[in-house]
Amino acid sequence: MRTSRQLEHMRVLAVLLMLGFAAFPIYWMFVTSMTPSSELFASSPRLLPAWSQLSIYAEIFNTIPVATWLKNSFLVAAGTTVLSILLAVFPAYALSRFRFAGLAVLGFALFATQMLPEAMLVVPLYSIFGDLNLLNTIPGLVLANTAFVVPVITWIIKGAIDSIPFEIEEAARVDGCSRLDIVLGIVIPLVAPTLAAAAVISFFHGWNEYVFAQTLVSSENLRTASVGLASFVGELSTPIHSVMAVGVIYTLPAIIFYLFAQRYVVAGMTAGSVKG
Amino acid sequence: MKRAQLARERLDGHPWTPYLFAAPVGIYLLLFQFYPLIQQFYMSFTATDLLTPTVNPFVGMENYSFLIEDGELWKVLSVTAIYTVACVVFAIGVGLGSALLLDSPFIGRSLARALITIPWAAPSVAVALIFTWIFNSQYGIFNRALTELGLQLGGENWLDNASLALPAILLTTVWQIFPFSSVVILAALQGVPQELKEAAVIDGADRLNIFKTATWPTIQPTVLMLTLFVTIWSLRRFDLIWLMTQGGPIGATNTMVIELYRQGFVYRDLGTAASIGMIGLSIALLVTVIYFKVTQMTEQAQGKR
Amino acid sequence: MRRTVNRLMAAAIAVGLAPWWAAPAFAKDKITFAAAVFAEAGRGDRVKAWIESYNQSQTGVEVEPIAIPFSSLANTVFTQMGGGGGPDLIRLDQTDFFAAIPSGRLLPLGDVINDKDYPFLGPDRFMKVKDVRYGLLFDTTGYALLYNKDILPQPPKDFESFLAAAREKTRDGTFGYAYRATMAERAGFWQDLCNYVFGFGGRWSDKDGNLTLNSPDVIKGVAAYKKVYDAGVTPKGADAATYRRMFWEGKIAMNVDNGGVAAIFNRNAPQLPFAAAPSPFPDKAQGLIMTALVVNANTKHKDAAGAFIKWAYAPENQKTLQAAMGTSVGTRLDMSPEEQAKQPWLRVYEEQMQNALPQLVMGHEDKTPEIQQIVLEQVLKVLLENADPKDAMDRAQSLVERRVLR
Repeated sequence: MRTSRQLEHMRVLAVLLMLGFAAFPIYWMFVTSMTPSSELFASSPRLLPAWSQLSIYAEIFNTIPVATWLKNSFLVAAGTTVLSILLAVFPAYALSRFRFAGLAVLGFALFATQMLPEAMLVVPLYSIFGDLNLLNTIPGLVLANTAFVVPVITWIIKGAIDSIPFEIEEAARVDGCSRLDIVLGIVIPLVAPTLAAAAVISFFHGWNEYVFAQTLVSSENLRTASVGLASFVGELSTPIHSVMAVGVIYTLPAIIFYLFAQRYVVAGMTAGSVKG
Repeated sequence: MKRAQLARERLDGHPWTPYLFAAPVGIYLLLFQFYPLIQQFYMSFTATDLLTPTVNPFVGMENYSFLIEDGELWKVLSVTAIYTVACVVFAIGVGLGSALLLDSPFIGRSLARALITIPWAAPSVAVALIFTWIFNSQYGIFNRALTELGLQLGGENWLDNASLALPAILLTTVWQIFPFSSVVILAALQGVPQELKEAAVIDGADRLNIFKTATWPTIQPTVLMLTLFVTIWSLRRFDLIWLMTQGGPIGATNTMVIELYRQGFVYRDLGTAASIGMIGLSIALLVTVIYFKVTQMTEQAQGKR
Repeated sequence: MRRTVNRLMAAAIAVGLAPWWAAPAFAKDKITFAAAVFAEAGRGDRVKAWIESYNQSQTGVEVEPIAIPFSSLANTVFTQMGGGGGPDLIRLDQTDFFAAIPSGRLLPLGDVINDKDYPFLGPDRFMKVKDVRYGLLFDTTGYALLYNKDILPQPPKDFESFLAAAREKTRDGTFGYAYRATMAERAGFWQDLCNYVFGFGGRWSDKDGNLTLNSPDVIKGVAAYKKVYDAGVTPKGADAATYRRMFWEGKIAMNVDNGGVAAIFNRNAPQLPFAAAPSPFPDKAQGLIMTALVVNANTKHKDAAGAFIKWAYAPENQKTLQAAMGTSVGTRLDMSPEEQAKQPWLRVYEEQMQNALPQLVMGHEDKTPEIQQIVLEQVLKVLLENADPKDAMDRAQSLVERRVLR
């Protein structure tokens, strides 16, 4: 019979293993960025960063427009987050509260869009964006990324609205509030944690996206970090330290963003818990 | 009860209200998703060059019949199926395991909950680059660790080996997506009645039983929904595989989206690419329909609604 | 038709949104120039500086360099060109250059530049199809055996002694040789394979353009590739960027590579005692690297692009470009004895150029990417699954006939 103490130890071990699995590759990216070139191919690997190489980070900010890339990625991610939530709240409410002809169509359409790979959309989108003067603009990227995000978060927000007791809205209606007032004044505050969770999903997607950012934007000062990082893979050589360092610089803001948002995320997903 | 209220709502509200609420997203999806989709559908019956996408000589079913006769498609489909099923099983399995761990109280739990999402936050391009380096046969830490452990696999070219490339890509994918399942399942676990969890802590022997009778029924709808999302996302995953192997070696990691991309952007044959896309879309739609049928049946079996 | 629908849909939104982010007008005629080389360590900054010196030299035109990764340059730029946009100037690899010609997306350059005014190098003849000039030779180089003199004082003269030397020098974390054998580096794998096939007398097609993928000499080249693979003398799994870094760290004895790589070795490790020799294969023929500077037919700045091209091919500017690239450029330049002495490998590459063949399937230039994919997959079957080289190349030949020439 296992005692609860033994179980406790096993659990601690399991948690540590899991965290190691999750964090190690990022740690390794950091270590590689700071491993002296001569030690990269040594017969035994360097497991700890060589702190003397820390200057590579300063050097990168001085020689590569990483700050611009991060700024662009941030604008794309933030824009995607705002636009996606704006677009998702109302249909989520409609899906949750109304029965109307076309309800099933809307629900199904939201799912269907999840199945379209970027590679398939990029050619037609390029010509549409060209006609809309959206090529080579941050808003263009925001519009393209939102397509992927809106359906997922609509479903999550709908789940959260489903769990709001009906009476709350009823009272407001008796007081003469319009539907719009109800959504803005009552529903949105009540599903705020779920909106935070939705924001995290949208932000990560906008921050990471590569195919659209590569094709729909050509100007170097509008380049996002994903494209910037990929552009290091040169024709004849790749500067591995810079690649890894930029990889770290690119990953950290997303992690920090998550640390701020994380307390809402579990709560928000709970409310919205992705239900069928 | 609910139905009656809804009926009253409909009488109360303006009949246009739901359409107004759905209109922005509807217009948006029409313009940026369905309109391109219709173009692609048409394109799949044409011979279209990437460099001249507005010149579309109609060729009827030729692209489809080429794909079916050629035989390569079947390999692509089976790689896609294996990849997708494995992604679902492992991402949700690891996600469920970690969620259960993170649900029970321990010191530093909120820090652990935050740390576990690191992979989810990591951008695909960065992930592909670091994992390629980790899997490097000579200097990659993965092989070095395996060799230290005395395992035969040490020194293998993970990404260049026809039987190991797919597992390596899978490991990378699972690493990247399990935190999402973990967070979603963790959220669902908050709905499991507290008394049952406490009982589980006290009575260690019956854990499995309690998981079956209390935890699983609560989280089952969430897990099913997650299965659908992970399936669809795995069917369309591109960046990671393209950057790590381009579908190689010898087609070992050549999923539908990779093949679509190669046809369209390497061979510049948008017509064939579009027909692969249409086949992929039909499969994804089929999976969705099956999913909804299955959920309906389980709900009926459980006597809901 | 589609265009009209697009425009109709566009109108609704564009009216409301477009003015908010319409680009401000530039006083200068601003053109963009996309190339993979801009991102490259050791060469990119110098080529960008070369462009900047043009921007400083006059006030009418400003050229903005855009770095796009080598592996996604063609698909990115082609998507943009197909959609009516894209950069004004592009440096295209030979495969992509020939792929783009039939579509009419490359501006004919006959009226921009007068051939007689420029001493173009031999490979420039590939820039014209049916007497129409679609591009200008931007940079070009051949292949030679680069070896680290610290590890290997004398270069091997034939394939057998090459293999023996590679075996002998593979020990203690040092490798005798390095090349590519992965689909993730499709383009580079093809370049390396071309050297072996050409070096054993094989050609991808005959004079009439008939495919000869399974001819005995091609099979000999593939078998040699396999022999090297099985000898265990290469750092398997290391990509080219990694093993080139290993070379200048002194971990690789030999490497058959192009002149640009020699330049990179020299830039990154000026003290590295390396030298070049003809590749150790029975036939003198080796691959030819060449890129084309092209003008996108969608450009709205044809005159500005022409002005830049005229500047770029002026002798003094060619000289700076050659120094930046470390390879030959579009035109013939005389090198001072001091420069030659500083970079003795340049002479070897220059001599090798006479035996250099494009890495294309001649007669099927625009289908090269598909043929490439099929051939490489079959070669991988030889390398990884020990398929018989003859069977594999027979299969490649029939697959190409069925799939590509359909």
